[in-house]
Amino acid sequence: MSRLILKDLVKKFDNVAAVNHVSLEVEEGEFVTLLGPSGCGKTTTLRTIAGFYQPDEGEIYFNDRLMNNIPPAKRNTSMCFQSYALFPHMNVWDNIAFGLKMRKISQPEQKKRVAQALEMMSLSGMEKRMPGQLSGGQQQRVALARAIVTQPDILLFDEPLSNLDAKLRVQVRVEIKEMQKRLGITSIYVTHDQDEALAISDRIVVMNQGQIEQVGDPQSIYLHPMTSFVAGFIGLANILSGQVVARKENQVQLELPFGRFWAFAGGLRASVGDTVRFSFRPENVVQYREGSPNKVSATIQHAIFMGDTIDLFLDAKGTRLRARAESAAKLKPGDIAVFSIDETAFQFLE
Amino acid sequence: MAATKQKNLWYVRQARRKRRFTTLLTVFFILVQVLWVGVPIFMTVLWSLVDPNHPWSFPNILPEKLSWGQWMYVFKYTNILRALKTSYTLAPCAVLLSFLFSLPTAYVLGRKQIPGKKFFQTIVLLPIIMPGMVVALFLSRVFNAFGLAQNFFGLVLAHTLMGLPYMIRVLTTSFEAIPQDVIDAAENLGANTFVKIKDIFLPMVRPGLLAGMIFAFTTSIEEFNLTFIIGTPTFETIPTILYSFLGYNFIRTNASVVALIMMIPNIIMLFAVENFLKSDYLSASLGKL
Amino acid sequence: MERKNVSSIDYLLLIPGVGFILLFIGSSIFITITQSFGVLSVTGKSQFTIENWKAIFHDKESLDSILFSLKIGLLSSVGTLLFAFPVALFLRKGGSGKRFLASLIKIPLFIPALVAAFLIINLISYHGIVNEALLALGIIKKPLRMLNDKFGWGVVAIQVWKNLPFVLLILSSSLASIRDDTIDAARNLGAGTFSVLFRIYVPLAMPGILVSMILMFIKAFGDFAIMSVAGPTYPPSIALRMRNTATLFQEWDKAAVLGVIIILTTLFITWLYSRLAEFVTGRK
Ligand SMILES: Nc1ncnc2c1ncn2[C@@H]1O[C@H](COP(=O)(O)OP(=O)(O)OP(=O)(O)O)[C@@H](O)[C@H]1O
Ligand SMILES: [Mg+2]
Repeated sequence: MSRLILKDLVKKFDNVAAVNHVSLEVEEGEFVTLLGPSGCGKTTTLRTIAGFYQPDEGEIYFNDRLMNNIPPAKRNTSMCFQSYALFPHMNVWDNIAFGLKMRKISQPEQKKRVAQALEMMSLSGMEKRMPGQLSGGQQQRVALARAIVTQPDILLFDEPLSNLDAKLRVQVRVEIKEMQKRLGITSIYVTHDQDEALAISDRIVVMNQGQIEQVGDPQSIYLHPMTSFVAGFIGLANILSGQVVARKENQVQLELPFGRFWAFAGGLRASVGDTVRFSFRPENVVQYREGSPNKVSATIQHAIFMGDTIDLFLDAKGTRLRARAESAAKLKPGDIAVFSIDETAFQFLE
Repeated sequence: MAATKQKNLWYVRQARRKRRFTTLLTVFFILVQVLWVGVPIFMTVLWSLVDPNHPWSFPNILPEKLSWGQWMYVFKYTNILRALKTSYTLAPCAVLLSFLFSLPTAYVLGRKQIPGKKFFQTIVLLPIIMPGMVVALFLSRVFNAFGLAQNFFGLVLAHTLMGLPYMIRVLTTSFEAIPQDVIDAAENLGANTFVKIKDIFLPMVRPGLLAGMIFAFTTSIEEFNLTFIIGTPTFETIPTILYSFLGYNFIRTNASVVALIMMIPNIIMLFAVENFLKSDYLSASLGKL
Repeated sequence: MERKNVSSIDYLLLIPGVGFILLFIGSSIFITITQSFGVLSVTGKSQFTIENWKAIFHDKESLDSILFSLKIGLLSSVGTLLFAFPVALFLRKGGSGKRFLASLIKIPLFIPALVAAFLIINLISYHGIVNEALLALGIIKKPLRMLNDKFGWGVVAIQVWKNLPFVLLILSSSLASIRDDTIDAARNLGAGTFSVLFRIYVPLAMPGILVSMILMFIKAFGDFAIMSVAGPTYPPSIALRMRNTATLFQEWDKAAVLGVIIILTTLFITWLYSRLAEFVTGRK
């Protein structure tokens, strides 16, 4: 188990930075997810931690030990690959025992640990099978067993679930999380699936174009996005900008094309006259009830029935908004309806 | 300032050293390879240019005088011109014949699921696998019986036999690579068999066809065993002439000239077709048993 | 792949290619076998006999030539592999210099075997550049005999030079099918260079290694031309011995026995290697 520290990490390919000045501290036993769109540098970061890439600038520490020049074989990390990367010419047992053999662990100890890992991953009885004879889910388990059996300091996951079907994906991610908590191994998990990230992480690192946009626990990332990228990438959001026209105590009044709205200012420093960017979630735009604040009337363009809710696409005086309604609501395209936006829903962005 | 400090850290230096090592290794391999391939060819070129009146012998590092004398001599006093003519009429005939023979076979092997396919594919490889001299000697018995030995048509058949495996393998791979969707789409749009062949199959296997033809052509130009047993002395091709220069009366200078004559077209061909001679074709025709 | 019913037309279409090959190769093998037992003989009378087989197995020169060819076949296949495998590993990942290197290496593939033989003969002959260079560097006192040497090193050198690219191609395509992830996983689990090489690369490339060794062996074992220009005066290679028996001594029946031995050895080695392949890869 190790603390992981990345200091100002830069990794370039052909002079283009795939990872651009990334700094991050991960506590012992913490489960941190790197989340971001395709090509944002998640895999590159992970592979640099594992030692497959040499950073061009910056430093990597496990606890207090500088790791920059330690070869991957000596880092005592374990990586779970998207493709599982099982050794196709070894059976399940030999796959799992590989890391132990490399560490010259004694035979009886190897037996004990492999058996334990098989047990833990419910793979008992499959020792002799070749990877080609296993289902995707079983291969995934073998890969996990192989990763944990060496008792690594840091576990690295690169989209380990993306080759599984949706149901299995949910099930395995719970298992991964449980296993990680039980073993208490520091883990870095890469995914571009936000649901997965929200469900599994202690903290989420949102990345974009090689840089960190925001770090925080799942709730704060979802509820308090700080940049329009984070707001737009995680969940659905209406991202708008408008002028501050009034300010009183903890509230500001915003001028928008479809009206003026009061919002809780939070830490907003803007004064009257400034233009600010902000976001609010569709679930905060609900049908108007007597006494609700911030009235908006809008034309319904599309109403999509989702089962538990109705997804609405609105046109408010030329501005497109997303909103939610209860599934029993009688709304159809062309209707004009009145909505309200909660004052606490506004998140001001950088 | 911070950047320069960064650049001097020991681990950055070490990483850079590692990269430099890889580059050095590449350069080293290239140098070795240049020597490995270049020196033999260069020496042969030198030998072919040694002036007949100033022989190149032991203590001299380089020949005293270079001239085209050997080339003149070879063209004037040996059978090389006739051999060239034989080789270069034989090869196109063999290529054409092996193309015609391989097309239907490759189509079936590439696009149909027939019982015994594996067996047929192995049969196709036989001319490459079977020891050349055995086939040559005892095929010559058969050819003798049918009057095909010492006969141009017999030679064409023999060379076709040696070119067929390459042609069939490469074409089979090309036929396999055509997506069934494309053919279904063509059929769906009303293409009949003739249109399918003309507008779908032939254009799509053309790169493979070219590769196969080149293989068959060079195979024919190089073919020695069958030609030697079945063709000589009536017909001499470049390899059999070279063999005679290398054999009982070893004449290094003449052999150099003939070796170059035989090699140059091949190397030109190699570089001319590098682009589409992807290793896929090479391994399709040579590798994978 | 069309999944229509098999029609006899498909088999008809196979005739020009497969039929042609079967006719010519089949007939020559057939003649070789029958003639080795004196049947369908051109010389002497046609009658079943095993005298020819006995004669060959009592003929020292034939036995020596068989052993010699086996040795050359083995050395050539192993030698080529030892040269080609490191290069194939080095070339596995692309790079600008490497692409150039790869096309340089391919050149001997397009140089006919006899020409290749001559090119190398030129270098390793008594006063060839290799000897001269070694003398000049003071490594040897007097030129080495590498051409027509008793052992056959000259032949092996030519086989290696000529067939390196061929083996390299086969090895490269089997190395290319190894996923980068697999290698990374091994390194991540603590495997050093040595372990990655012998526990991952070699076993995974084993099918390619075996195929290239079979093909190399077959080529070198049954070779006639290179052996006859660069091989020792005694023993001759088995193919050379066979051809001399047939055309110089006009003993076709005995030559046929040698022919059958070449074919059988070829088949046996192929079978042996394929069993080995099954054993190594652990599956049928
Ligand atoms: N080996 C490489 N050589 C050159 N460029 C690379 C290499 N690996 C990654 N890149 C580039 O670096 C950038 C970041 O890639 P990376 O693989 O880290 O993205 P990612 O966040 O993992 O994306 P994904 O979700 O698609 O896996 C991309 O623009 C990619 O093209
Ligand atoms: Mg990735």
